[in-house]
Amino acid sequence: MSSTATDEDMICGLTAAEHEVLRQGLRRLPETMPPRAVWHRIREQAAAEGLLRPQLVRRPSSWYAGAGIAAAVVLAVIVVPRAMHTSAPESRTEPPITAQSSQVELTALQALMVQSQQLESDLRALPEEPRVLRASTVATLSEIEDRIAAIDYQLGDAGVQMTPEETEIFWRERVRLMNSLVQLRYAQAQRTAF
Amino acid sequence: MSKFADIEIDPAIVKRAARGDSRAHEIIYRSFATPVYSLCLRFTRVPAHAEDLTQETFIEIMRSINGFRGEAALGSWIRRIAVSKALMFLRSAWTSRGQSLGEDWDDVTPGHAASHGISSHPDDALDLDAALESLPDVSRTVVWLHDVEGFTHKEIAKLMGRTESFSKSQLSRAYQRLRPLLAAAAEETGTVGAALRSYRV
Repeated sequence: MSSTATDEDMICGLTAAEHEVLRQGLRRLPETMPPRAVWHRIREQAAAEGLLRPQLVRRPSSWYAGAGIAAAVVLAVIVVPRAMHTSAPESRTEPPITAQSSQVELTALQALMVQSQQLESDLRALPEEPRVLRASTVATLSEIEDRIAAIDYQLGDAGVQMTPEETEIFWRERVRLMNSLVQLRYAQAQRTAF
Repeated sequence: MSKFADIEIDPAIVKRAARGDSRAHEIIYRSFATPVYSLCLRFTRVPAHAEDLTQETFIEIMRSINGFRGEAALGSWIRRIAVSKALMFLRSAWTSRGQSLGEDWDDVTPGHAASHGISSHPDDALDLDAALESLPDVSRTVVWLHDVEGFTHKEIAKLMGRTESFSKSQLSRAYQRLRPLLAAAAEETGTVGAALRSYRV
Protein backbone atom coordinates (compact mmCIF):
# COMPACT_ATOMS: atom_id res chain seq x y z
CA MET A 1 0.00 0.00 0.00
CA SER A 2 1.56 3.26 -1.05
CA SER A 3 1.08 6.63 0.52
CA THR A 4 2.58 8.56 -2.39
CA ALA A 5 -0.46 10.37 -3.54
CA THR A 6 0.89 13.35 -5.46
CA ASP A 7 -0.58 12.39 -8.81
CA GLU A 8 -3.76 11.20 -7.21
CA ASP A 9 -4.19 14.51 -5.35
CA MET A 10 -3.87 16.40 -8.61
CA ILE A 11 -6.51 14.22 -10.17
CA CYS A 12 -8.75 14.47 -7.20
CA GLY A 13 -8.47 18.22 -6.91
CA LEU A 14 -7.04 18.83 -3.46
CA THR A 15 -3.94 20.83 -2.65
CA ALA A 16 -1.22 19.15 -0.63
CA ALA A 17 -2.17 21.21 2.42
CA GLU A 18 -5.83 20.35 2.15
CA HIS A 19 -5.00 16.71 1.67
CA GLU A 20 -2.75 16.75 4.71
CA VAL A 21 -5.49 18.39 6.78
CA LEU A 22 -7.86 15.65 5.66
CA ARG A 23 -5.45 12.82 6.44
CA GLN A 24 -4.56 14.22 9.85
CA GLY A 25 -8.20 14.90 10.65
CA LEU A 26 -9.29 11.41 9.67
CA ARG A 27 -6.60 9.82 11.78
CA ARG A 28 -7.66 11.89 14.77
CA LEU A 29 -11.27 10.75 14.62
CA PRO A 30 -12.11 8.75 17.72
CA GLU A 31 -12.48 4.97 17.60
CA THR A 32 -15.47 3.17 19.06
CA MET A 33 -15.44 0.05 21.20
CA PRO A 34 -17.99 -2.61 20.33
CA PRO A 35 -20.57 -3.51 22.99
CA ARG A 36 -19.54 -6.35 25.31
CA ALA A 37 -22.27 -8.59 23.97
CA VAL A 38 -20.42 -8.92 20.67
CA TRP A 39 -17.72 -11.17 22.17
CA HIS A 40 -20.37 -13.37 23.78
CA ARG A 41 -22.12 -13.73 20.45
CA ILE A 42 -18.85 -14.62 18.76
CA ARG A 43 -18.08 -17.25 21.40
CA GLU A 44 -21.53 -18.76 21.05
CA GLN A 45 -21.27 -18.99 17.28
CA ALA A 46 -17.72 -20.31 17.46
CA ALA A 47 -18.79 -22.95 19.96
CA ALA A 48 -21.75 -23.94 17.78
CA GLU A 49 -19.46 -24.31 14.77
CA GLY A 50 -16.83 -26.17 16.80
CA LEU A 51 -14.18 -23.53 16.08
CA LEU A 52 -12.88 -23.31 19.62
CA ARG A 53 -11.29 -26.05 21.59
CA PRO A 54 -13.47 -26.65 24.63
CA GLN A 55 -12.01 -25.04 27.74
CA LEU A 56 -10.67 -27.95 29.69
CA VAL A 57 -10.77 -28.07 33.46
CA ARG A 58 -7.51 -26.49 34.45
CA ARG A 59 -4.92 -29.12 35.21
CA PRO A 60 -1.85 -27.28 36.35
CA SER A 61 0.25 -30.44 36.40
CA SER A 62 0.15 -30.92 32.62
CA TRP A 63 0.78 -27.25 31.85
CA TYR A 64 3.71 -27.02 34.21
CA ALA A 65 5.02 -30.40 33.17
CA GLY A 66 5.57 -28.81 29.76
CA ALA A 67 7.66 -26.15 31.39
CA GLY A 68 9.63 -28.87 33.17
CA ILE A 69 10.35 -30.49 29.82
CA ALA A 70 11.47 -27.11 28.50
CA ALA A 71 13.81 -26.83 31.46
CA ALA A 72 15.20 -30.28 30.77
CA VAL A 73 15.73 -29.41 27.11
CA VAL A 74 17.56 -26.22 28.00
CA LEU A 75 19.72 -28.09 30.51
CA ALA A 76 20.54 -30.69 27.88
CA VAL A 77 21.32 -28.07 25.25
CA ILE A 78 23.40 -25.77 27.43
CA VAL A 79 24.87 -27.77 30.28
CA VAL A 80 25.87 -30.97 28.47
CA PRO A 81 27.76 -29.38 25.56
CA ARG A 82 29.51 -27.06 27.97
CA ALA A 83 30.55 -29.93 30.19
CA MET A 84 31.83 -31.80 27.12
CA HIS A 85 33.59 -28.69 25.92
CA THR A 86 35.33 -28.26 29.28
CA SER A 87 36.75 -31.75 29.12
CA ALA A 88 38.06 -31.26 25.57
CA PRO A 89 41.84 -30.67 25.33
CA GLU A 90 41.57 -27.23 23.63
CA SER A 91 39.44 -25.87 26.44
CA ARG A 92 42.41 -26.21 28.76
CA THR A 93 44.17 -23.47 26.83
CA GLU A 94 41.46 -20.94 27.71
CA PRO A 95 42.32 -18.47 30.43
CA PRO A 96 41.08 -19.65 33.83
CA ILE A 97 38.97 -16.54 34.29
CA THR A 98 36.70 -17.53 31.32
CA ALA A 99 36.19 -20.99 32.66
CA GLN A 100 35.40 -19.52 36.04
CA SER A 101 32.82 -17.02 34.74
CA SER A 102 31.26 -19.78 32.61
CA GLN A 103 30.91 -21.85 35.74
CA VAL A 104 29.24 -18.92 37.49
CA GLU A 105 26.81 -18.50 34.56
CA LEU A 106 25.86 -22.14 34.68
CA THR A 107 25.27 -22.00 38.38
CA ALA A 108 23.07 -18.91 38.07
CA LEU A 109 21.05 -20.52 35.28
CA GLN A 110 20.68 -23.77 37.15
CA ALA A 111 19.62 -21.88 40.25
CA LEU A 112 16.92 -20.13 38.24
CA MET A 113 15.71 -23.45 36.84
CA VAL A 114 15.54 -25.00 40.29
CA GLN A 115 13.72 -21.91 41.58
CA SER A 116 11.28 -22.15 38.68
CA GLN A 117 10.62 -25.84 39.37
CA GLN A 118 10.08 -25.07 43.05
CA LEU A 119 7.51 -22.42 42.15
CA GLU A 120 5.76 -24.87 39.82
CA SER A 121 5.47 -27.38 42.61
CA ASP A 122 4.21 -24.62 44.97
CA LEU A 123 1.57 -23.82 42.37
CA ARG A 124 0.54 -27.44 42.03
CA ALA A 125 0.15 -27.64 45.80
CA LEU A 126 -2.44 -24.86 45.79
CA PRO A 127 -6.13 -25.82 45.62
CA GLU A 128 -7.96 -25.83 42.27
CA GLU A 129 -9.15 -22.47 41.00
CA PRO A 130 -12.63 -21.56 42.21
CA ARG A 131 -15.44 -21.79 39.66
CA VAL A 132 -16.39 -18.16 40.11
CA LEU A 133 -13.58 -15.75 39.47
CA ARG A 134 -13.28 -12.00 39.45
CA ALA A 135 -12.93 -10.68 35.91
CA SER A 136 -9.86 -8.62 36.84
CA THR A 137 -8.19 -11.67 38.41
CA VAL A 138 -8.91 -13.78 35.35
CA ALA A 139 -7.42 -11.11 33.10
CA THR A 140 -4.27 -10.83 35.23
CA LEU A 141 -3.84 -14.60 35.55
CA SER A 142 -4.39 -14.98 31.85
CA GLU A 143 -1.83 -12.33 31.02
CA ILE A 144 0.81 -13.85 33.30
CA GLU A 145 0.19 -17.34 31.92
CA ASP A 146 0.38 -16.06 28.37
CA ARG A 147 3.70 -14.41 29.08
CA ILE A 148 5.05 -17.57 30.69
CA ALA A 149 3.81 -19.57 27.71
CA ALA A 150 5.55 -17.14 25.36
CA ILE A 151 8.81 -17.55 27.30
CA ASP A 152 8.49 -21.35 27.25
CA TYR A 153 7.88 -21.18 23.55
CA GLN A 154 11.10 -19.22 23.07
CA LEU A 155 13.08 -21.51 25.37
CA GLY A 156 11.72 -24.67 23.82
CA ASP A 157 12.03 -23.60 20.18
CA ALA A 158 15.09 -25.29 18.70
CA GLY A 159 15.14 -22.72 15.89
CA VAL A 160 15.78 -19.85 18.30
CA GLN A 161 19.50 -19.22 18.85
CA MET A 162 20.17 -17.67 22.24
CA THR A 163 23.35 -16.72 24.02
CA PRO A 164 23.71 -18.00 27.60
CA GLU A 165 23.07 -14.44 28.79
CA GLU A 166 19.79 -14.27 26.86
CA THR A 167 18.77 -17.68 28.18
CA GLU A 168 19.42 -16.46 31.69
CA ILE A 169 17.32 -13.33 31.09
CA PHE A 170 14.44 -15.49 29.89
CA TRP A 171 14.70 -17.79 32.89
CA ARG A 172 14.94 -14.84 35.28
CA GLU A 173 11.77 -13.40 33.75
CA ARG A 174 10.11 -16.80 33.96
CA VAL A 175 10.89 -17.04 37.69
CA ARG A 176 9.58 -13.52 38.24
CA LEU A 177 6.32 -14.30 36.45
CA MET A 178 5.94 -17.67 38.19
CA ASN A 179 6.41 -15.87 41.48
CA SER A 180 3.63 -13.41 40.62
CA LEU A 181 1.41 -16.28 39.52
CA VAL A 182 1.93 -18.19 42.75
CA GLN A 183 1.24 -15.10 44.84
CA LEU A 184 -1.91 -14.30 42.92
CA ARG A 185 -3.19 -17.87 43.06
CA TYR A 186 -2.33 -18.02 46.77
CA ALA A 187 -4.31 -14.83 47.43
CA GLN A 188 -7.16 -16.27 45.40
CA ALA A 189 -7.09 -19.49 47.42
CA GLN A 190 -7.09 -17.47 50.64
CA ARG A 191 -10.15 -15.49 49.52
CA THR A 192 -11.99 -18.68 48.59
CA ALA A 193 -11.19 -20.23 51.95
CA PHE A 194 -12.97 -17.47 53.87
CA MET B 1 -1.49 3.52 8.29
CA SER B 2 -4.39 2.85 10.63
CA LYS B 3 -4.46 1.59 14.21
CA PHE B 4 -4.30 -2.01 12.96
CA ALA B 5 -0.61 -1.62 12.26
CA ASP B 6 0.16 -0.48 15.81
CA ILE B 7 -1.08 -3.66 17.45
CA GLU B 8 1.38 -6.47 17.98
CA ILE B 9 0.46 -9.98 18.99
CA ASP B 10 3.00 -12.50 20.21
CA PRO B 11 3.47 -15.28 17.62
CA ALA B 12 2.95 -17.81 20.44
CA ILE B 13 -0.58 -16.46 20.92
CA VAL B 14 -1.27 -16.79 17.20
CA LYS B 15 -0.05 -20.40 17.29
CA ARG B 16 -2.33 -21.14 20.21
CA ALA B 17 -5.23 -19.50 18.40
CA ALA B 18 -4.53 -21.68 15.36
CA ARG B 19 -4.99 -24.69 17.64
CA GLY B 20 -8.41 -23.33 18.63
CA ASP B 21 -7.37 -22.04 22.05
CA SER B 22 -10.27 -19.87 23.18
CA ARG B 23 -8.15 -17.74 25.48
CA ALA B 24 -5.76 -16.90 22.64
CA HIS B 25 -8.72 -15.93 20.45
CA GLU B 26 -10.04 -13.74 23.23
CA ILE B 27 -6.69 -11.95 23.41
CA ILE B 28 -6.80 -11.36 19.65
CA TYR B 29 -10.38 -10.13 19.93
CA ARG B 30 -9.58 -7.75 22.80
CA SER B 31 -6.66 -6.35 20.83
CA PHE B 32 -8.44 -5.81 17.51
CA ALA B 33 -12.12 -5.43 18.39
CA THR B 34 -12.03 -1.62 18.53
CA PRO B 35 -10.31 -0.99 15.17
CA VAL B 36 -12.46 -3.66 13.48
CA TYR B 37 -15.70 -2.30 14.92
CA SER B 38 -14.71 1.31 14.19
CA LEU B 39 -13.94 0.46 10.59
CA CYS B 40 -17.25 -1.37 10.14
CA LEU B 41 -19.14 1.46 11.82
CA ARG B 42 -17.37 3.99 9.61
CA PHE B 43 -18.39 2.09 6.49
CA THR B 44 -21.98 1.24 7.42
CA ARG B 45 -22.90 4.01 9.93
CA VAL B 46 -25.32 1.62 11.65
CA PRO B 47 -24.13 0.14 14.99
CA ALA B 48 -26.17 -3.04 14.55
CA HIS B 49 -24.57 -3.68 11.13
CA ALA B 50 -21.13 -2.89 12.55
CA GLU B 51 -21.70 -5.41 15.35
CA ASP B 52 -22.74 -8.11 12.89
CA LEU B 53 -19.73 -7.39 10.69
CA THR B 54 -17.40 -7.47 13.69
CA GLN B 55 -18.83 -10.85 14.60
CA GLU B 56 -18.42 -12.12 11.03
CA THR B 57 -14.85 -10.83 10.91
CA PHE B 58 -13.76 -12.61 14.09
CA ILE B 59 -15.54 -15.81 13.14
CA GLU B 60 -13.66 -15.70 9.84
CA ILE B 61 -10.43 -15.16 11.76
CA MET B 62 -11.16 -18.28 13.82
CA ARG B 63 -11.97 -20.27 10.69
CA SER B 64 -8.88 -19.29 8.76
CA ILE B 65 -6.14 -18.46 11.25
CA ASN B 66 -4.65 -21.86 10.48
CA GLY B 67 -3.80 -20.51 7.06
CA PHE B 68 -2.14 -17.38 8.46
CA ARG B 69 1.57 -17.83 7.78
CA GLY B 70 2.78 -14.62 9.36
CA GLU B 71 4.20 -13.25 6.11
CA ALA B 72 2.29 -10.02 6.68
CA ALA B 73 1.48 -8.50 10.06
CA LEU B 74 -1.51 -10.03 11.82
CA GLY B 75 -3.11 -6.56 11.91
CA SER B 76 -2.95 -6.22 8.12
CA TRP B 77 -4.46 -9.67 7.71
CA ILE B 78 -7.31 -8.89 10.12
CA ARG B 79 -7.92 -5.52 8.50
CA ARG B 80 -8.18 -7.21 5.09
CA ILE B 81 -10.85 -9.55 6.44
CA ALA B 82 -12.79 -6.70 8.06
CA VAL B 83 -12.65 -4.55 4.91
CA SER B 84 -13.74 -7.47 2.76
CA LYS B 85 -16.70 -8.26 5.05
CA ALA B 86 -17.79 -4.62 5.19
CA LEU B 87 -17.55 -4.20 1.42
CA MET B 88 -19.48 -7.40 0.86
CA PHE B 89 -22.18 -6.00 3.11
CA LEU B 90 -22.29 -2.70 1.20
CA ARG B 91 -22.47 -4.54 -2.10
CA SER B 92 -25.35 -6.70 -0.95
CA ALA B 93 -27.17 -3.67 0.47
CA TRP B 94 -26.84 -1.96 -2.88
CA THR B 95 -27.93 -5.01 -4.79
CA SER B 96 -31.02 -5.41 -2.64
CA ARG B 97 -31.94 -1.80 -3.39
CA GLY B 98 -31.47 -2.43 -7.10
CA GLN B 99 -28.54 -0.01 -7.28
CA SER B 100 -24.97 -0.51 -8.29
CA LEU B 101 -21.95 0.87 -6.46
CA GLY B 102 -21.58 4.56 -7.12
CA GLU B 103 -25.16 5.40 -7.88
CA ASP B 104 -25.67 6.66 -4.37
CA TRP B 105 -24.45 10.14 -5.31
CA ASP B 106 -27.89 10.59 -6.83
CA ASP B 107 -29.37 10.41 -3.33
CA VAL B 108 -27.26 13.32 -2.08
CA THR B 109 -28.88 16.71 -2.49
CA PRO B 110 -26.64 19.76 -2.93
CA GLY B 111 -27.75 21.22 0.38
CA HIS B 112 -27.05 18.03 2.28
CA ALA B 113 -23.44 18.78 3.10
CA ALA B 114 -24.18 22.34 4.16
CA SER B 115 -26.77 21.06 6.56
CA HIS B 116 -23.97 19.16 8.28
CA GLY B 117 -22.19 22.41 9.02
CA ILE B 118 -19.23 21.86 6.74
CA SER B 119 -18.32 25.50 6.40
CA SER B 120 -18.85 26.54 10.00
CA HIS B 121 -16.10 25.43 12.42
CA PRO B 122 -13.70 23.94 9.97
CA ASP B 123 -10.98 22.75 12.31
CA ASP B 124 -13.30 20.79 14.50
CA ALA B 125 -12.98 17.01 14.31
CA LEU B 126 -16.71 16.75 14.82
CA ASP B 127 -17.24 18.70 11.62
CA LEU B 128 -15.00 16.39 9.69
CA ASP B 129 -16.88 13.48 11.19
CA ALA B 130 -20.18 15.06 10.17
CA ALA B 131 -18.86 15.92 6.72
CA LEU B 132 -17.70 12.36 6.26
CA GLU B 133 -21.09 11.11 7.38
CA SER B 134 -22.73 13.30 4.75
CA LEU B 135 -20.90 11.46 1.98
CA PRO B 136 -22.52 8.54 0.21
CA ASP B 137 -21.40 5.19 1.67
CA VAL B 138 -19.19 4.18 -1.23
CA SER B 139 -17.35 7.51 -1.41
CA ARG B 140 -16.86 7.58 2.34
CA THR B 141 -15.47 4.06 2.15
CA VAL B 142 -13.10 4.99 -0.66
CA VAL B 143 -11.87 8.04 1.28
CA TRP B 144 -11.30 5.89 4.35
CA LEU B 145 -9.52 3.10 2.49
CA HIS B 146 -7.33 5.56 0.60
CA ASP B 147 -6.49 8.14 3.24
CA VAL B 148 -6.58 6.18 6.48
CA GLU B 149 -5.86 2.57 5.60
CA GLY B 150 -3.41 3.51 2.85
CA PHE B 151 -4.86 1.37 0.06
CA THR B 152 -4.01 2.37 -3.52
CA HIS B 153 -6.69 2.95 -6.16
CA LYS B 154 -5.68 -0.36 -7.73
CA GLU B 155 -6.28 -2.18 -4.45
CA ILE B 156 -9.55 -0.37 -3.80
CA ALA B 157 -10.74 -1.20 -7.32
CA LYS B 158 -9.93 -4.86 -6.76
CA LEU B 159 -11.67 -4.92 -3.39
CA MET B 160 -14.77 -3.28 -4.82
CA GLY B 161 -14.78 -5.21 -8.06
CA ARG B 162 -14.60 -1.99 -10.05
CA THR B 163 -12.01 -0.06 -12.05
CA GLU B 164 -9.32 2.30 -10.82
CA SER B 165 -11.16 5.16 -12.53
CA PHE B 166 -14.20 4.38 -10.42
CA SER B 167 -12.12 4.65 -7.25
CA LYS B 168 -10.52 7.90 -8.40
CA SER B 169 -13.83 9.41 -9.42
CA GLN B 170 -15.43 8.53 -6.08
CA LEU B 171 -12.48 10.08 -4.25
CA SER B 172 -12.58 13.17 -6.42
CA ARG B 173 -16.28 13.76 -5.78
CA ALA B 174 -15.79 13.23 -2.08
CA TYR B 175 -12.89 15.68 -2.01
CA GLN B 176 -14.99 18.28 -3.81
CA ARG B 177 -17.60 17.91 -1.13
CA LEU B 178 -15.07 18.14 1.70
CA ARG B 179 -12.99 20.89 0.18
CA PRO B 180 -14.62 23.96 1.81
CA LEU B 181 -13.93 22.43 5.20
CA LEU B 182 -10.39 21.42 4.30
CA ALA B 183 -9.46 24.70 2.64
CA ALA B 184 -10.61 26.68 5.66
CA ALA B 185 -8.78 24.35 8.03
CA ALA B 186 -5.60 24.49 5.95
CA GLU B 187 -5.78 28.29 6.00
CA GLU B 188 -6.30 28.36 9.74
CA THR B 189 -3.37 26.08 10.41
CA GLY B 190 -1.19 28.24 8.23
CA THR B 191 -0.40 25.51 5.82
CA VAL B 192 -2.00 27.35 2.95
CA GLY B 193 1.29 29.08 2.15
CA ALA B 194 2.91 25.74 1.62
CA ALA B 195 -0.06 24.71 -0.39
CA LEU B 196 0.27 27.70 -2.72
CA ARG B 197 3.89 26.88 -3.27
CA SER B 198 2.95 23.40 -4.27
CA TYR B 199 0.62 22.16 -6.88
CA ARG B 200 -2.90 23.40 -7.28
CA VAL B 201 -5.30 21.91 -9.75
